[in-house]
Amino acid sequence: MPKLVIDTIELEVPAGTLILEAARSVGIMIPHFCYHPALGNAGACRVCAVKLIDGPVKGIQMSCMTPVQEGMVVSTTDADAVAMRRHVIEWLMINHPHDCPVCDEGGECLLQDYTIAAGHGTRRYQGKKRTHSNQYLGEHVQHEMNRCIQCYRCVRFYQDFAGGTDLGVMGRASTIYYGRFCEGSLESPFSGNLPDLCPTGVYTDKAARFRARYWDYDMAPSLCPHCSLGCATIPAARYRELLKIMARRNDAVNGWFLCDRGRFADHGVNSPERPRTPLLDGRETTWDEALAVLATRIGELFVSHGPGSLAVVGSPRLTLEGNYQAALLAEFLQAGALCYFVERDEAAAASAVVSLLTGDTAVSLAEVEQADCIALVECDLREQGPMLLLAVRQAWRKGAKIFLVGEGSPREQTDSVSLETLRVPTLADIPLADYSTPLVIATPSGSGTADIETAVTAGAKLVFPLSGPNTFAAALLTREHRATSLAEALASGTIKGLLAFEADLPEELLSGISLLAVADRFPSAAMIKSDVFLPTTAWVEMDGTFINHEGRAQRFRKVMNPGLPIKGLDPALHPPRVHRLDAPGGEPRPAWRIIADLAERLGAEQLVEPLSGRWEFLRDLDPEGEGERIL
Amino acid sequence: MERILLPEIRPAAPVSFADYCAAEGFAALKRALRELSPLEVQQIVIDSGLRGRGGAGFPTGKKWSFVPRDLPGPRYLICNSDEMEPGTYKDRVLLEHNPWLLVEGLILAAYVLSVNHAFIFIRRGYETPAENLRRALAEAERAGFLGENILGSGFSLKIDLHVSAGRYICGEETALMNALEGKRANPRSKPPFPAIKGLWGGPTVVNNVETLSNIPAIIRKGPEWFRGLAAIPEAAGNKLFCFSGQVRKRICVELPLGTTLGEMLEGPAGGMEPGRTFKACIPGGASTSFFTPRHLSVPMEFDSVAKAGSRLGTGAVIFFDERTCMVAATLNLVSFYARESCGWCTPCREGLPFVREVLTRIEQGRGEPEDIEILREHVKFLSFSFCPLAPGAMGPVDGLLRHFEEEIREHIVKRRCPVRN
Repeated sequence: MPKLVIDTIELEVPAGTLILEAARSVGIMIPHFCYHPALGNAGACRVCAVKLIDGPVKGIQMSCMTPVQEGMVVSTTDADAVAMRRHVIEWLMINHPHDCPVCDEGGECLLQDYTIAAGHGTRRYQGKKRTHSNQYLGEHVQHEMNRCIQCYRCVRFYQDFAGGTDLGVMGRASTIYYGRFCEGSLESPFSGNLPDLCPTGVYTDKAARFRARYWDYDMAPSLCPHCSLGCATIPAARYRELLKIMARRNDAVNGWFLCDRGRFADHGVNSPERPRTPLLDGRETTWDEALAVLATRIGELFVSHGPGSLAVVGSPRLTLEGNYQAALLAEFLQAGALCYFVERDEAAAASAVVSLLTGDTAVSLAEVEQADCIALVECDLREQGPMLLLAVRQAWRKGAKIFLVGEGSPREQTDSVSLETLRVPTLADIPLADYSTPLVIATPSGSGTADIETAVTAGAKLVFPLSGPNTFAAALLTREHRATSLAEALASGTIKGLLAFEADLPEELLSGISLLAVADRFPSAAMIKSDVFLPTTAWVEMDGTFINHEGRAQRFRKVMNPGLPIKGLDPALHPPRVHRLDAPGGEPRPAWRIIADLAERLGAEQLVEPLSGRWEFLRDLDPEGEGERIL
Repeated sequence: MERILLPEIRPAAPVSFADYCAAEGFAALKRALRELSPLEVQQIVIDSGLRGRGGAGFPTGKKWSFVPRDLPGPRYLICNSDEMEPGTYKDRVLLEHNPWLLVEGLILAAYVLSVNHAFIFIRRGYETPAENLRRALAEAERAGFLGENILGSGFSLKIDLHVSAGRYICGEETALMNALEGKRANPRSKPPFPAIKGLWGGPTVVNNVETLSNIPAIIRKGPEWFRGLAAIPEAAGNKLFCFSGQVRKRICVELPLGTTLGEMLEGPAGGMEPGRTFKACIPGGASTSFFTPRHLSVPMEFDSVAKAGSRLGTGAVIFFDERTCMVAATLNLVSFYARESCGWCTPCREGLPFVREVLTRIEQGRGEPEDIEILREHVKFLSFSFCPLAPGAMGPVDGLLRHFEEEIREHIVKRRCPVRN
């Protein structure tokens, strides 16, 4: 490994490391716009100039373009290097509109930071600034080309990394323009990464436009709840409103990026329709009364039908804490059934997944990128886990062969990231044993896993995109607590009472139920039918744990307090005439807390920590770490 | 003197296939394929001292020798005919007169490099040269000099003529390869150098039209003969020079390398226009630093010109008389480069328009003494750009600062252009 000196710090780094990366590894931050750890170097912005004082290369060099060599002596503070960087900033500011006060990027803008760092304050260029027209890029991304500093990050991500074809670079010299070939919505399912990647305000999040400054946001490390991949996010909220979701780096899972579904899909957190107050027989009530009445009615149900008539229902979107407490409640009450899945097939498929996935066969998204052969079996990843497509594309860029297996694997999914694929009728038609790191991505199925087991024998790793953010945990708990599907439980005819926590209950299954208690954050038909309704917090309003598709437990932190967004308040409430400590609409509670409080009213001990017993080891999980594989 | 490329100053019609063959055309190719190994041909070119005629002047045989001979997979040869340097029109004149030299030179070079697929990358404006080449390639193929198993030697070659959409930057070899691959014509970073990883990732050599056109004569008559063509022993061969500006004869002419600037001005260029005196010239195309009357004795040859503080470049000499404002002339050249920047890197994309703006305000009488420092900074810091375009564009600015600083100051002090007003 080459040894070199950077600003008097001696270091030894692996061959091939760029000077910029080597400097970063010892805490020296060299400014850069075009270099990005996921996109690599481009040598375009020239702001990472350093001076090589001694060694095999000498003089001013771009630290992002120069791999380290034995004996290099690098100065980041050399007068020429500093002057070069200052000139680059001056050049970039020639045409930048300097509209920071009205730019959403202001406060989180790399250009702003480096301009101040370079000390550039006097304009020596006296000509006019070049201007561009902006394009309508769809409902999520705002375009403001005048701010552009031509770092090429957007096209390098959009075209090279994500395989998008509708956004590119046009023109030359000072007419360089990044945009779509004609105005319209961005087509790539990863377009939302442009605001994250852009070092200044060319692309900004439309929904959050003009709403807050970076330093005003409530933010915390969180996870995406929209599928089972468990991508790391940073939700940003202000004034009790969830404004936008940014990608958070997790090298084991999503890397630097996030799909548009995770970023832009409706999350219902701010929805005016969201139930925020406990309901007793359809009328608003207090938590105290709702829980007391529910406890009483459970007692009445037990008197008339026995504890076997009660089913406790968790779900794939409920946290591990909630689902585990549901199991404990069912055991404490000796309930007749514990359910995590509604349909039999769903339960069977999930249990097949947890039995097929082992520490050897399960792979992370990062490991998907290392595969040299990937079979997509009866799946459409646009729906089931778009970030998998991005990982598959990275594998393909490194030379992997991609196969589409079965009618259920549409080609449009791989077209969305511009992949070349081969279509084969069955998994058995792929010579998996010929590859060193083959991978099968398949829709979980409760019936017929023989071909997948054969693939595993041939050395294939497995990825099963699951239905919800916590399906894996629900499947594990199903096995460990002998849970059944709700459909099976109800088919026996003995279940008369349901305690459902964030479960999607089909209306037709509820006909024979005499006591229905529903805890959820979404309005539903079951909510209207319920005897007792208890509002729960959204994932951004609580701490919690999800276990993703590969068995990786990850912690997420509370971003914001629940409450009605100030923006949506009834004008009659303003100015406030009733003063109180709690925010209006701030009543929802985490589902696990509701379960524990109910259990306490029914005679159980008071609960402080929701993860105990088998799950106690996850209590101190670092929300900013890579999570913990439990397989 | 003996002329290889352009025997006549203003040829009436392009040389026909029959004429070319009659004048020992394709004799070099026949001899090479029958008697010489690729390495022997390469050695002859190395010995001849031939240096690239596209601007950089890199020894041609040495460039060829950088291509690893044992790498598997296809390798490529590209003829760079994207002639767009202001003042330079030698390749056009050459191809209008004789496309055969290039065709034979290309085949010989491809033979040396074991290339089976070569490209001629020509700019859009060059319609007649492209037409000449198209006809020449077809006739050469009919005659068996191109295609499969050329002259029974087992060597096969296909040459594709690519008429590019064309921009100045396409003349930069790595940008040219991107353009040929159908990508944006942005230069690539080096290393890897094209000789290792070029077109479509294969080893690639890019040679200029004039360079390749010299090869047949070198093979036919030997390296010593070629070296002897030059006017001074340090140089080798003849070179096409293009005259423009305020001289009587604005022509392209083949002259021995090492002919002095003064000999050129008074000889083939016919002297300055009547009543005019020589003030300055650009010796080698728009990206080179100015020469002044004290440079008239400089031998026009790569090393001598470099020693005198400029570059021989493409051999395009633009003459300026005493009525020329050097600030305005430099502004004109810088405007070209500011427009032709590919826009990839910041110094070139933003720095050149800055220089253009500063020169404009000086020329318009709005300059301040600090502006000279701005120009100086740009000469220094534009050299740290991604490719040689921006440093090349600073060639004339560098010359302006070194030779005509007084003239700039006069603009600033008098608040007007002292030459034209």
